[in-house]
Amino acid sequence: MLPEFDFLTPNSLAEALAWLAQRAGDAAPVAGGTNIVPDLRSGRHAPKALVDLSRLAELKGIRREDGYVVAGGGVTIAELLGSPLVRSSARPLFEAARLFANPLIRNRATLAGNLADASPAADSAPPLLALDAEVELVSQAGTRRVSLVEFFTGVRRTVRRTDEILAAVRWPVPEPEAAFGYTKLGLRRADAISVVSAAVCLVPAPDGACSRARIALGSVAPVPMRARAAEAFLTGRPLSAETIAEAARMAAGEASPISDLRATSGYRKRVAEVIVRRLLAEAARTPQPQES
Amino acid sequence: MKITAKPLPSVELPELRQVGKPLRRVDALSKTVGATLYAGDYYPTNLLYGKVFRSTIPHGKIRRLDVSQARALEGVACVLTAGDLPRAVLVTDMPGQTGQKRRSGSDAQVLATDTVRFIGEPIALVAAETEALAEQALRLIEIEYDPLPAVFDPLEAMQPGAPQIYPPDNVVARWRIRKGDVAAGMAAADVIVENTFSVPYQEHAYLEPEAGVSWVDERGVINIRVCTQVVEHFRSISLALGVPQNKLRIQGTMVGGGFGGKEDITVEIFLGLLAKATGRPVRLAFSREESILAHSKRHPYVITHRTGVTRDGHITAAEVKVISNSGAYVYLSPYVLLYSTGMAVGPYRVENVSVSSASVATNNPFTSAFRGFGAPQVCVAYEQQMDEIARAIGMDPYELRRRNFIHKGDLTIHGQELTSAAWLEETTTRAVAALGDPTPDWGSFKVGQGFASYMQSYGRITWLHDTSQAWVGLEMDGTATIRAGVPDLGAGQISALAQIVSEVLGVAMKDITIYHTDSAVTPLSGTSTATRQLYMSGNATLQAATAIRKNLLERASRYFEELPEAIDLADARAFVKGHPEQSLRLAELVAMCASEGLPLANLAMFKAPFTGPIDPETGQGQIWPDFTFGAQAVEVAVDTETGEILLLKSAACHDVGRAINPAAVEGQIQGGSSQGLGYALMEDLAVEQGRIKAGSLSEYLIPTACDFPETQVIILESGTGVGPFGAKGIGEPSFTPAPGAVANAVANALGVRIHELPLTPDRVLAALDKTGKRSG
Ligand SMILES: Cc1cc2nc3c(=O)[nH]c(=O)nc-3n(C[C@H](O)[C@H](O)[C@H](O)COP(=O)(O)OP(=O)(O)OC[C@H]3O[C@@H](n4cnc5c(N)ncnc54)[C@H](O)[C@@H]3O)c2cc1C
Repeated sequence: MLPEFDFLTPNSLAEALAWLAQRAGDAAPVAGGTNIVPDLRSGRHAPKALVDLSRLAELKGIRREDGYVVAGGGVTIAELLGSPLVRSSARPLFEAARLFANPLIRNRATLAGNLADASPAADSAPPLLALDAEVELVSQAGTRRVSLVEFFTGVRRTVRRTDEILAAVRWPVPEPEAAFGYTKLGLRRADAISVVSAAVCLVPAPDGACSRARIALGSVAPVPMRARAAEAFLTGRPLSAETIAEAARMAAGEASPISDLRATSGYRKRVAEVIVRRLLAEAARTPQPQES
Repeated sequence: MKITAKPLPSVELPELRQVGKPLRRVDALSKTVGATLYAGDYYPTNLLYGKVFRSTIPHGKIRRLDVSQARALEGVACVLTAGDLPRAVLVTDMPGQTGQKRRSGSDAQVLATDTVRFIGEPIALVAAETEALAEQALRLIEIEYDPLPAVFDPLEAMQPGAPQIYPPDNVVARWRIRKGDVAAGMAAADVIVENTFSVPYQEHAYLEPEAGVSWVDERGVINIRVCTQVVEHFRSISLALGVPQNKLRIQGTMVGGGFGGKEDITVEIFLGLLAKATGRPVRLAFSREESILAHSKRHPYVITHRTGVTRDGHITAAEVKVISNSGAYVYLSPYVLLYSTGMAVGPYRVENVSVSSASVATNNPFTSAFRGFGAPQVCVAYEQQMDEIARAIGMDPYELRRRNFIHKGDLTIHGQELTSAAWLEETTTRAVAALGDPTPDWGSFKVGQGFASYMQSYGRITWLHDTSQAWVGLEMDGTATIRAGVPDLGAGQISALAQIVSEVLGVAMKDITIYHTDSAVTPLSGTSTATRQLYMSGNATLQAATAIRKNLLERASRYFEELPEAIDLADARAFVKGHPEQSLRLAELVAMCASEGLPLANLAMFKAPFTGPIDPETGQGQIWPDFTFGAQAVEVAVDTETGEILLLKSAACHDVGRAINPAAVEGQIQGGSSQGLGYALMEDLAVEQGRIKAGSLSEYLIPTACDFPETQVIILESGTGVGPFGAKGIGEPSFTPAPGAVANAVANALGVRIHELPLTPDRVLAALDKTGKRSG
């Protein structure tokens, strides 16, 4: 059963920030409620007040701004799916949105909720890491930008202060030659928590070598992670099958998965290598088609 | 596999007007618009909310139980413990619907008296003014245990010295079949193939968790409105409550899925106790998590086959050992085990057989009925064994089966003659042929096809002397009413009865009203279990409607001055066959009958064959009224790098005798197929040390619409069943071949067999590692 709590419905971001500041510590934002309501029911989370962000226009919309794509924290997964900008300039995020939960949840679940909840299995995280995204944290004290890699600090822990709202997620518009890939492995084909997920970004140099690589993994570490050593290894090397295989091995080696009901840690490591290898090989072969 | 469909024997089915058509079900509209009230939808005024306090350890003595703080909480109306119900027993055996005695040792405790035997065992009940208060009261109950050694593995539980849950040896039931001479049969074999297979728990995962409301009415009758598969539980509920049977009324609601999980008593006794103790209406509804904790599960099994076979594919002997995990209480384990025992070698003629089976108590969640009732588990084993035998002698798996299929007129291993068509070749060839050519392997994916053939009973065990009653009546305006105690589980149970009445009396489906599932006002029709409702209540309804039809035709024959046989009823009219201009509105005919006092209503009872028990030493004798035969075939692709299994194609073919409503039959087959495929591929309760680790639907994964392609459904109609119009049963059989077909397809894809379900990616990779066949 749901415990009792105050439900605060601010009409503006400023009002929401005021509530959060005033009730610092015992109030939590709620957007789609798809994480926090189950948490309240199970008793894992017991805020005295929920500050409803779901009707704040300031957190909506996806736009281009100075070489960046900026998505409001209140954008839902369904809205990501419907956005031509996401489709063209954040392909892995679009793919992740397609495999996210089910249509009902996608209509409510928000990007900020997914990131702020900071589950190692948050499905928007690996694509956004591969896109080199940063988040915008707003409070009465001002706005700060934190790169997504630094945002996550542990299982369901982030650098966000309780008086802060995750107002937006931003990522640079990818170079036209950048190629991406995304895969989610779950125990069924819809509505399943990821067993392993991965997103990659490869930017080839004119000579075909790798000029930049980003490899992001979900569900294999306490936080959604970048495989830095594998990325460094790839950079400057030709994208041959051998290099790719080695990079995939390294990426899996950087992972530190746990065993749980869904899979053993051994399985996760092994399969992380497989999917990273496949994604890199695919990205190395196919320049990403650019839709306008 | 290249197989062409075997031509069907010519069958002449009588021409019917309503039966055999995919008519809209009588309950379709109200369910579609959300008007149907389910058991959890009733909130009478002055309501109290019930909650159950449950054990958190698998085995232990209750050293101290203190409910005083819970009782003292303002807003708590009552707290009950075992001390408040000195004589209450929970009957877990088959309801004594026809006067049979229940098996000794099969009773359980309503609330734990001094020992708990599984996690989730009820210990105390609370009723309070609000749900929140009831939950708060649960938290105020204090309990301390002295843990007892527990045992979870049935094989360990059978060892001497194991903790005793069911003295003296934890074996809650044994069955044996001894036929022919197994030693001689094995000696005559060229090859002996031995394999052990295991299958896991399964959770029913119906949409609707258990729920109900109870109240005491002005007659002093305790009413319980509940979702149940068994109205007749009112008798054992009255025993638990200490009231006469006619002071206990079950008002069954539409059931949001049963699958056997609502075949045992769930919330009823708790509701009755709380209403009786407080004198107020009480509601009790389980959350999904409590539902998973509280109700039965499909039995896990370990099954060993040792089969002797000649090089030309003749099975000379079969020895089968079957062990099932009964969990902490008996429930229906003995009967489920009997089904497994009788069906242990599958739809094959085997002259020399020995089957030894046991169901063993452990400190696990209790197990009981689940769609198929022990038949699917053994099908998983015998159909994998058939493929392994085929491999061992280098024969095509279908050809091996064809040479051994049982036929009409043959005796089963328990010595029962098959009296209806046994269309094994007809169904199997069609299911396999429907797959078409195998999809070629690609990348790291290996493709395989596999199938399973089966036979399965419908109707209850014949020594239980099953009966069903139904009442049919015509109103003055020519509309019809049916009264039958049938629980409708969503499978179309009541709609089928309406379709039968529509056929016999010529009344449109929309002009038929059916009252159902009420122990006080609808005649008792028996349980919606054992794939018996169409067979039993369909026949009872047919009898009742036919008796009325006889009166109508007799009266009409005088009116038309024609023989009764020359007259027919359709479209709300009586008419002379071949002369539709000579006709009469049904309402007018009804009025004529009424004015002469000719009965326009009839209460009929249908009786299944009544037999004595089987021979306990040899297992020989009749066990079931009749059998359904069929097969399912599937194609899978296995990713040899990740272990994932994709289901590419699925086709099922069953001889349903006669499809009363083909759309409903297809629905059953699609649903049974998905449930069976889910069992093989993903469902995993993860029970460890008696604890269900996948205790919610985010952990216990059942298939979604994205996971499997639609199963191609091929319905055959031999017209030879013992149900109305020659129908056989399909509700449970539709599940049975699916999991074995998947196991065979995966083995076919990988070239290595995984002897354990579910076929998880982890297990696939482990199997490939063992053989060094992993790619990459
Ligand atoms: C059936 C089901 C299936 C699911 N499937 C998936 C899946 O496939 N993949 C996946 O990744 N997740 C899945 N989830 C989890 C969940 O839906 C997502 O994480 C979702 O994105 C959460 O967003 P929300 O808006 O509902 O968050 P809420 O539940 O509203 O909030 C989640 C957390 O974020 C905080 N928060 C919300 N908005 C903000 C903000 N703007 N600023 C700061 N803090 C904020 C809240 O305080 C809370 O701590 C599933 C959940 C369910 C119930």
